[in-house]
Amino acid sequence: MKILVCVKQVPDVERIVVRDAADGMAALDISNEFRMNRFDEFAVEAAVRIKESMAGASIHVITVGPGRAADVLKRPLGMGADQGIHLKTPTDADPGPAAVAAFIAGYARSRGYRLILCGSMSEDGLNGQVGPMAAAYLDLPYATQVIAIQPAPDPSELSIEREIEGGAREMLAIRLPALLTLQPGINRPRYPSLSRLLRAHRQGVETIPTETLRPAEAWVERLGLMAPPRMRASQVLTGSAREKADRLAAILKEKAFI
Amino acid sequence: MVIAPCANGRVHPETDELVAFGRRLQALRAGAIGVCIVGGDVNVAAREIAQRHSVPVTAIQAAGFSHYLSEPYVAVLTEEIEAVKPAFVCAPHTSQGWEWAPAVAARIGAGCICGVDGITECQGRLCFQKELYGGKVKGLFSVSTTTTVISVMPGIFTIKPAPPPCPPGPVTYKEAAWRPAQTRYVGTRQAGVDASDITAAPIIVAVGNGIGSPENIALANRLARRLPKAAVAGTRVVCDRGWLGYDRQVGISGASVAPALYIACGISGASQHVMGMRGARFVIAINTDPRAPIFNEADICIVEDIIRFIPLIEEACGRLAEGTKEAIDVR
Ligand SMILES: Cc1cc2nc3c(=O)[nH]c(=O)nc-3n(C[C@H](O)[C@H](O)[C@H](O)COP(=O)(O)OP(=O)(O)OC[C@H]3O[C@@H](n4cnc5c(N)ncnc54)[C@H](O)[C@@H]3O)c2cc1C
Ligand SMILES: Nc1ncnc2c1ncn2[C@@H]1O[C@H](COP(=O)(O)O)[C@@H](O)[C@H]1O
Repeated sequence: MKILVCVKQVPDVERIVVRDAADGMAALDISNEFRMNRFDEFAVEAAVRIKESMAGASIHVITVGPGRAADVLKRPLGMGADQGIHLKTPTDADPGPAAVAAFIAGYARSRGYRLILCGSMSEDGLNGQVGPMAAAYLDLPYATQVIAIQPAPDPSELSIEREIEGGAREMLAIRLPALLTLQPGINRPRYPSLSRLLRAHRQGVETIPTETLRPAEAWVERLGLMAPPRMRASQVLTGSAREKADRLAAILKEKAFI
Repeated sequence: MVIAPCANGRVHPETDELVAFGRRLQALRAGAIGVCIVGGDVNVAAREIAQRHSVPVTAIQAAGFSHYLSEPYVAVLTEEIEAVKPAFVCAPHTSQGWEWAPAVAARIGAGCICGVDGITECQGRLCFQKELYGGKVKGLFSVSTTTTVISVMPGIFTIKPAPPPCPPGPVTYKEAAWRPAQTRYVGTRQAGVDASDITAAPIIVAVGNGIGSPENIALANRLARRLPKAAVAGTRVVCDRGWLGYDRQVGISGASVAPALYIACGISGASQHVMGMRGARFVIAINTDPRAPIFNEADICIVEDIIRFIPLIEEACGRLAEGTKEAIDVR
């Protein structure tokens, strides 16, 4: 069974600084520290577990992004993936979910993957779109928010569960080849092993410029950014840590919580 | 075109929100609203929607799929949308709409934005607003295709249904051919966790990934013991790691809570979490990142390291209690 896992390189969200810009808009200072989208670790782990339980399974891991994005493939290779593929974009700009899905579909088409796995969403874009869109381009059955994967009695199917509102689960049988986007918590992603990481370092990845794939159409354009509105008082306590703690205790007292 | 969620012959409350969103769109761009509902038995629900909102409704009855399933949904909706050619297709941003909307958009070559929580006019163009970067900023997006597919965040757009004297909208009935599916619905299992400890608690000490290690959960437990009837809850990340049980998870895929006091410790404030704690009366947030989105949802904001700060809260409460005792003694 050939498995393709889609991983995205994202900036460290905690390090992002939002600034006020002209016209009441906002601007972002993005640090130069990038890492693998946290939601994608679950997809890599799920693929490695399938490989471990199935003779002859192999895992390819794919990313779309600029030159620096190739780094994001090391961790999955360290976790047990066999081959990395970098669809290299000419600029730093994120092509957006439709184009990313089209690039991934363009690569995956006719390469015989039985299963394509994505994360539930990217931490920067929060779209959850690449998976369903790639499935549509490839004309594959798909399911999102998948929280359990089991072999089915019929080997051409998988038994899966999707998580719906309030934590309830829909049980489905899906015929392969298929695409799944995985819900966080489906597994506990392992740490990459040092020996695999070293091997990954030597092995290198297959690099394909996105210009050679179906061109990306810019249907959706980002016109600006805004600081999110305050939903409550958002009173900031100041002073030393101890002063803040005293002030907080006084507030708790005043509100009769203690 | 509003696509009402499929809910076993019932009208899902999100339908009202989507009509409200459609009305907001109408205020910015003239056009008619129509609702489409797809499922196994949708005729009664279709008439109810037409009555309630005085809008035309298309009921697409498809024998064989009484329960929502991505594959037939995408197929039937793609066909209907290509026939009607609406400017906007509005889906609920739920486990259903978020699943089918991007695939339908890809099939018809429409621009797609998921998780929309606002509409504005920006540089003379219609802009859809949604969260980016874990909720730290909102992005304003404009779409250039003739049809735009949007999934709308629940709980944001609300209207009262049209008053009874309004004439009901016309209902059109259609049949969709059942397509051989690659996906089969087997059944639904309820969550099976009992979250009553946190839903009943008047005070919640909630911990997020910022707590750093399972050992540090003890800090939250100690603080909770200091506060009357307080319970410890957490974010999905903390529950997924096994640091707390799933019966303690707050958010869309966990419990919704509405305590008198919610103390968010090391929680970033992702919308999936915030939607489960919006009902709290008073919110205190402690986070090392002054730009953490949780601060927009808090009454009191404290930029501190929770590992150092939680013990300081206990001490301060202790001092206050001592002080009170002394004051009484003096009297
Ligand atoms: C379909 C779906 C459903 C989901 N359902 C839920 C749900 O029901 N509930 C839920 O919670 N999430 C849910 N999530 C996940 C959600 O998107 C977020 O990933 C999650 O809420 C983030 O948890 P967190 O705030 O604990 O972690 P993080 O986002 O990692 O945030 C940690 C925060 O702690 C701060 N911090 C770090 N160290 C310290 C320190 N020492 N002191 C103080 N602050 C510190 C950081 O600045 C950061 O803001 C869902 C996701 C999806 C895709
Ligand atoms: N640039 C990318 N390269 C590879 N996979 C991606 C990329 N962007 C998104 N994905 C995959 O699609 C999922 C959803 O991303 P998004 O639609 O951007 O929220 C992610 O969890 C990844 O699995």
